[in-house]
Amino acid sequence: MENNKEYIIQLQGLTKQYGSKTVVNNINLNIEKGQFVTFLGPSGCGKTTTLRMIAGFEIPTEGKVLFDGMDIAKLPPHKRPVNTVFQKYALFPHLNVFNNIAFGLKLKKIEVACKKKNGEDTTKQVKLKNFLVDPATGKPDFSIANKDYYSYIDKGYVPLCKVKKEVNKMTKKGRVKKEVNGYKYYIDEKVRRALKIVGLSDYETRDVDSLSGGQQQRVAIARAIVNEPKVLLLDEPLGALDLKMRQEMQIELKEMHKKLGITFIYVTHDQEEALTMSDTVVVMKDGTILQEGSPIDIYNEPRTAYVADFIGESNILDGVMIEDYKVNIVGAEFKCVDAGFGENTPVDIVIRPEDIEVKSKENGIITGVIQWCRFRGVPYEMMCECNGFEFTIHSTIEAPIGKEVGLYVAPENIQIMYKEHVDNTVPVTFTSNTTFDLYGGEYEFNPTEIFANCNYDSEQDVLTIDGEEKTLKGQEAQVRFAFTDIDMTDDEYAAPLAGNVDSMIYKGKNYIVDIKTDDNHHIYADTEYLWDKGDRIGIKIDKFELVSVKEGE
Amino acid sequence: MFKKSLAIPYALFMAIFVLLPLVLVLVFAFIDATDGSFDMLINFKELAKEQALGKVIGNSLIAGFSTSALCLLIGYPIAYYLTKTEFNKKGVMIGLFLAPMWVNFLLRMMATKAVFNVIGFKMGMGAVIFGLTYEFLPYMIMPLYNTILKIDKCYIEGASDLGATPIRAFWKVTVPLSMPGIVSGLTMVMIPSITTFAVTEIMSNGKMMLLGDFIYSLKADSLNMAAAISFILLIFMCASMFISNKYTGDNGSKGGGLW
Repeated sequence: MENNKEYIIQLQGLTKQYGSKTVVNNINLNIEKGQFVTFLGPSGCGKTTTLRMIAGFEIPTEGKVLFDGMDIAKLPPHKRPVNTVFQKYALFPHLNVFNNIAFGLKLKKIEVACKKKNGEDTTKQVKLKNFLVDPATGKPDFSIANKDYYSYIDKGYVPLCKVKKEVNKMTKKGRVKKEVNGYKYYIDEKVRRALKIVGLSDYETRDVDSLSGGQQQRVAIARAIVNEPKVLLLDEPLGALDLKMRQEMQIELKEMHKKLGITFIYVTHDQEEALTMSDTVVVMKDGTILQEGSPIDIYNEPRTAYVADFIGESNILDGVMIEDYKVNIVGAEFKCVDAGFGENTPVDIVIRPEDIEVKSKENGIITGVIQWCRFRGVPYEMMCECNGFEFTIHSTIEAPIGKEVGLYVAPENIQIMYKEHVDNTVPVTFTSNTTFDLYGGEYEFNPTEIFANCNYDSEQDVLTIDGEEKTLKGQEAQVRFAFTDIDMTDDEYAAPLAGNVDSMIYKGKNYIVDIKTDDNHHIYADTEYLWDKGDRIGIKIDKFELVSVKEGE
Repeated sequence: MFKKSLAIPYALFMAIFVLLPLVLVLVFAFIDATDGSFDMLINFKELAKEQALGKVIGNSLIAGFSTSALCLLIGYPIAYYLTKTEFNKKGVMIGLFLAPMWVNFLLRMMATKAVFNVIGFKMGMGAVIFGLTYEFLPYMIMPLYNTILKIDKCYIEGASDLGATPIRAFWKVTVPLSMPGIVSGLTMVMIPSITTFAVTEIMSNGKMMLLGDFIYSLKADSLNMAAAISFILLIFMCASMFISNKYTGDNGSKGGGLW
């Protein structure tokens, strides 16, 4: 328990399923008090669902949501000490700005102890207007929660609504002193302060429909922070704003976070937003966390090619780790700072465009020809082809097109990662001696090509392996095929199995496409053509090899 | 141009059968039946002499208000639960609740009367209000259902996020946001139930009269008096429309009320 103390929210084995579809899959995450944490990922990666489980709008199928060490996974939203800023703002159209912001304050209740008439101990819910005011400070005392209510009244505490406060009010006659009760004063003051924080003073009486998108967003934030939540949840709050407004709000949100000192949990699909605002970025895909870390860590040391591709621009290439500190990238040998990958291990390489230095032909590690170069504000963006692979380069110096140059990358700027997948190794079930079922698609094969010492009489349908007659039907096996063995076709009916393009990564010359089948299995293919996310494609397999056969009955 | 000309038959129909009769009602209401001269007040003075009329108006108001209130009380929960998909898979339930509209209303009233006679329910004001509620309930459910269905779930989530219990969220958010539907439903029940006839006659064994029955009971020679009552009703109608518009405001299209 002791070491949990600094974490305000902990997600433990959090899983959410809708029917058979798993949206969030076994997430574990600790969020420190006062941090600005961002869930980053493409749409459908489960980031919003995770946020909604923290807010209480979704009940997790499995797992825990710990708040200050207490499990709140099954608590309804109105009992949780968190507030949400919604993507669509969700401002109440029938209330004006003031009443929208005061909505949560007016509902505030605490539980106190008191005695029944017969002397029995009991508890009761006290509304904000009956909160007791500490005579010393003149402010409502929240610490009386769970304590004996009436003993405090005996001590000279007064309910908030019974306190008289003098305020300046604008009337037709001009500014006059007026007396209001402490409850009204308290709400008024709180709302005013929240409006000041979001920069919308004097907007109290405005109709929410008459506000611009940016102003509505500010009201939504004010409505949430006025309740002084321990954690503020923001669900793509800037998604509906235009670029200028969005950038301005990013800075303001960051400042608000500093000023308020509460924990922010932010959801976005915009990597730039995530990098500029957060203390911690959590990159998600398919309901799982790919990587969590500071923006700098995530940018400089992405754990997978997918993260590198999603965060900022990068050159992602195939490489082979020759030995420790030495890596072969597209035919040239680079020095690097990584060790422990073993010898001749295929790896993924990430090089950020600004880390490539353009030098004279002799001084580079690899030579190439500049294909194009364009001015793009501060750096020039250029493309250099080396051994058939394209490198994107950001440089402050212009390079003439067609010039042969040398490229140099400092060893520490080469980020090396294990490949997530080297090939497709998938389970299959034989459906006859010449066909197998792969994720619901029936593929044909020639048994003599995959079994050693094998004879097949296609007319009699007799298969002999090592002189023994065999029937494959019903047996399970594993087969392996390389990325390049897959032929992608846009006619899904021309292939036994179809799927949708889930993501793709450019490897300098070719694309590695992640194809998601209808049963949510992944197959990776190598192609030189650019496909779009969501494209429906048929998967043909040119050749494959048998890894193992499970001996059936 | 061609598209516009498609509206001509409708415009003609409206002019002849809606606009013209309205003008005629206005004219007849202010014409002395005996000599055909224009007199602002003659028909209304005649009406004031009718001793039954006071009672008729009183009954009409009682029946109208109680029917609307009852329809709202019964209709709102029904409409509310019908908007929840689990209660209304593919809109079947709403169809069932509106099904009574498909049966001829006279038939329904006769049947109800027969049932009441069997169980010994006294025919009178109570039975009339029951009949009217039965008759007009679908007119209440429909606009309410449309309005509640269009309330974005995010408002309810917003309210519960801010600490409102489900009941609080209902009263503080759902009810105010369904106001256009409530007003629309009330107008659709109130005016027709005041002016309806036959229902009263059947359900009170001819002992009670509402404004509709009263107009019906006037002889053909007192057309002018009928026009005068219609004029009063017209004012009622305009007033209720005015109130309804005030509530729906420019959100009329957003709120999903029937007008």
